[in-house]
Amino acid sequence: MIKEYLENWTGLVNTVKIGATPQEGGTRRKTITVGGEKTLAFLFKEGHLPNKPVIAYEIWDIKPIDWPEELTNYYSDVWSDPLDWAEKVANVYKADLLCVRLMGIHPEINRDIDYELNFIKNLLKRVNLPLIIVGCGDDEKDNTVLPLCSQITKNERCLIGEVTQDNYKILTAAVLADGHNIIAQSPIDINIAKQLNILISDMGLSFDRIVINPTVGALGYGLEYTYSIMERLRLAALNQDKVISSPFICFVGQESWRAKEAKARQDEFYSWGKESRRGPLWEMITAVSLVLAGADILVMRHPKAIEKIKEYIELMFKNNF
Amino acid sequence: MEKFKVTFYPDNKTIEVEKGKTILSAAISAGVYINSSCGGEGVCGRCKVILKKGTVLSQPTGRLSLEERRHNIYLACLATIQSDLEVEIPEESRLIFEKLSPEELGLRLKGLYAEVEEVESSMSILENVFIHSPLATKLYLELPPPDLNDKISDLERLYREIRKRHQIPIMQTGLANIRRLGEVLRSSNWKVTVTLGKRNGTVEVVLIEPGNTSKRNYGFAFDIGTTTIYGQLIDLNTKRILSTKVTYNKQAVFGPDVITRIIYAQEEDGLEKLHHAVVDVMNEMIQECIREHSIDLNDVSCVLCAGNTTMIHLLLKIDPSYIRREPYVPTANFVPTIRAAEAGIKINPRGLLSCIPGVSSYVGGDTVAGVLSCGIEREKDLSLLIDIGTNGEVVLGNRDFLISCAASAGPAFEGSGVSCGMRASSGAIQKVKVNPLNYEVKFSTIGDTKPKGICGSGYIDIIAEMLKAKIIDKAGKIILKDHFRIRDSDYGKEFVIAFGNSTLSGQDIIINESDIENIKRAKAAIFAGVSILIRHMGFDFEDIKKIFIAGGFGNYLDIENAKLIGLLPDLENTRYIFVGNSSLAGARQVLLSYEAMKKAGELASKITYFELSVEPSYMEEYMAALFFPHTDSLRFPNIKI
Repeated sequence: MIKEYLENWTGLVNTVKIGATPQEGGTRRKTITVGGEKTLAFLFKEGHLPNKPVIAYEIWDIKPIDWPEELTNYYSDVWSDPLDWAEKVANVYKADLLCVRLMGIHPEINRDIDYELNFIKNLLKRVNLPLIIVGCGDDEKDNTVLPLCSQITKNERCLIGEVTQDNYKILTAAVLADGHNIIAQSPIDINIAKQLNILISDMGLSFDRIVINPTVGALGYGLEYTYSIMERLRLAALNQDKVISSPFICFVGQESWRAKEAKARQDEFYSWGKESRRGPLWEMITAVSLVLAGADILVMRHPKAIEKIKEYIELMFKNNF
Repeated sequence: MEKFKVTFYPDNKTIEVEKGKTILSAAISAGVYINSSCGGEGVCGRCKVILKKGTVLSQPTGRLSLEERRHNIYLACLATIQSDLEVEIPEESRLIFEKLSPEELGLRLKGLYAEVEEVESSMSILENVFIHSPLATKLYLELPPPDLNDKISDLERLYREIRKRHQIPIMQTGLANIRRLGEVLRSSNWKVTVTLGKRNGTVEVVLIEPGNTSKRNYGFAFDIGTTTIYGQLIDLNTKRILSTKVTYNKQAVFGPDVITRIIYAQEEDGLEKLHHAVVDVMNEMIQECIREHSIDLNDVSCVLCAGNTTMIHLLLKIDPSYIRREPYVPTANFVPTIRAAEAGIKINPRGLLSCIPGVSSYVGGDTVAGVLSCGIEREKDLSLLIDIGTNGEVVLGNRDFLISCAASAGPAFEGSGVSCGMRASSGAIQKVKVNPLNYEVKFSTIGDTKPKGICGSGYIDIIAEMLKAKIIDKAGKIILKDHFRIRDSDYGKEFVIAFGNSTLSGQDIIINESDIENIKRAKAAIFAGVSILIRHMGFDFEDIKKIFIAGGFGNYLDIENAKLIGLLPDLENTRYIFVGNSSLAGARQVLLSYEAMKKAGELASKITYFELSVEPSYMEEYMAALFFPHTDSLRFPNIKI
């Protein structure tokens, strides 16, 4: 009989709380807490894992541009109004967490800023789930709009992003003032992830308000590279590197549904099988891998993929092996 | 092809060149020196010239202000010749020999404000470790004239007289001297001075002069750096340093680092040009020194050079190309002592040239000289020598072992490749304080003159102060906004250190984000090299008891600030010992003692070379160090920004 070898970790991942209930000065029905791991994913014998990974439904403020037909089948009925979309994932799919991408502010679309702010205001009224708000990826527009979003959602303890090493000051200042958390994005690079956390905390935002987006790739598109970077970051955290002990957010849906293998129709590649099964599987397998790497928040798209990954997480936690 | 005449002032040299060539390349062909630390890439903005007559075509460049353009100032590397030209080279673009007075030298080596132990004074103690026996000694002899009872030949007679004074079993003499011998002895009435040179284990009668010239015996010690060349005139009898001079290496016009120079050496006449560039500088330095002290060139009997392996190859006109090719083997690490004239060095025509042996392609005799002068090999405790120069050599060890690596840092700390950089010489901003409340800048310059530029230690201070005042973030980006010292430029944002109304040239002295990036890379390369070497040997930073800091800029250094920016490990200041130019000090010792020369040979064989470029973790270490002070703050526990 070989003796079981158990690692004794001394560090832990920071706990980040998203959403604020009326008692806490917000209007959310509940809060979501992520992080707090004292060991690697599912290694219950080595340490406590107080919080399960959570799934955030990704919705947009406009009708998505490049979402494939498989996703259209589930959402096209609500794409005329993003508020309906939010309501559908909350009520029909029983989402725990919502991730709103403000693609409408992108310079190529250039929606009116007031319109966007109204959308956020109304979203707070219509759906009382904790919120993640992300910009369009254009630094200039994000720096203009996201601080305003931060203001109007003050005290709701949202998770807002994203900041990068070259552009972190403006949004960090806003998030700091309005009591939110921030997403720190780094390009699959441990050092930059760490440096960005230092830069953000230098501005006064405490480490328990930072969530790292390590930048991920989908299955077949650099997933293993992503995996090893996340694992190394997590190992550093478990070895007491406080600076890098942040939970991870992974944009699984966005990456998975870019893969040809996920979105191609069966009539193009007959042997690949039905896209209604293949697509969600692609997203789900990507998600499973990232959960194993230590993901805390998975931003996903397909209701079936989300259902399955939730089942998987429940199963793993129930078995508690 | 159409040809045009280009005349350079104040040199008053004219050359005919093809249309479309750059002014810089014309200057090089004409043997006229124009500063160019980027190697003619249009990046450094140092090769400014004034067009007096004629037309040129020039690419647009951000390195020239509107005001300068209006005054017909061009960058020599970008301006192509379209007609006959008259070009004036302004003083700041010329090669200038900086003379370091003994007082200044003493002051510098004291480290002025650095809270570190000062070593140059103890250096003289070190020098006494080695017996005084210079590379070339002079001996005045009064020979008994031959008669019928004493009929041995002239040469044997000379040897017999020498052996009366010294135990020298084997001696040799060149044919040219033997041919002259009979006449010289007789015309001088058998009273002659012989110069004895130590050549590769034997002694050579280098020179025979009539009369007594033994009081006049001089030598030169050189430190030939990739960016900077130091030369020192030494009285070999008294061991006194008569003059120290420093200037940039003229080879810089062919590329900023050893690799680009090796590549350039492959081009047609490339090796020839590189060789001449360095030899010219040395000859000019020698001329200046002997003129100052009214010394006859014939009384300069030897030259001793410490340089990195590439510099020594180029000095001796040996093809350096194999240094760059796997498995990175130089043609020679141990170069025998030769006649200086063979390498084109103008001293006494029969004088000697010796080079301190190197360890490998990338750790050369300059490092060996440094180790020798710091005495690491005699230490019981673990010591570290860091040369903060272009090649960033690091040596770790004690009396049991010595291991070295070269962390290619680039010339930023020598004031090259940065927009307002300059060598640590008169007018260089060397110490800076920034008020964190109103961003007021206070600085002092070398020689207390109006500021001309910023030297390495100035840059270290500036970046440390900007970090403390939160003008830049830890990634090196300027985050201060809406202040009259902050401006946008083609090279990112810039911070004005001194406005034009208070500077020597009338131009603003600034630091921009690209400069900060350059310094950050340089410090990261050095720190990564140090970390890897220490870890490779299974030690921790804590285990290092003494850290010797050397470097051309290293004459002033605020250790606290160097730690703050992450250049040096976070250890107590008492462990740091500041040695300035340890390579020149080592060269001087070897010049003055044959024993030191032998020791240098032993060291070169003893030092193990550790190749960073094949070490997989080097890149990772380097990337992690690209932050102020470091991505891993645990390595700098005492640094609080």
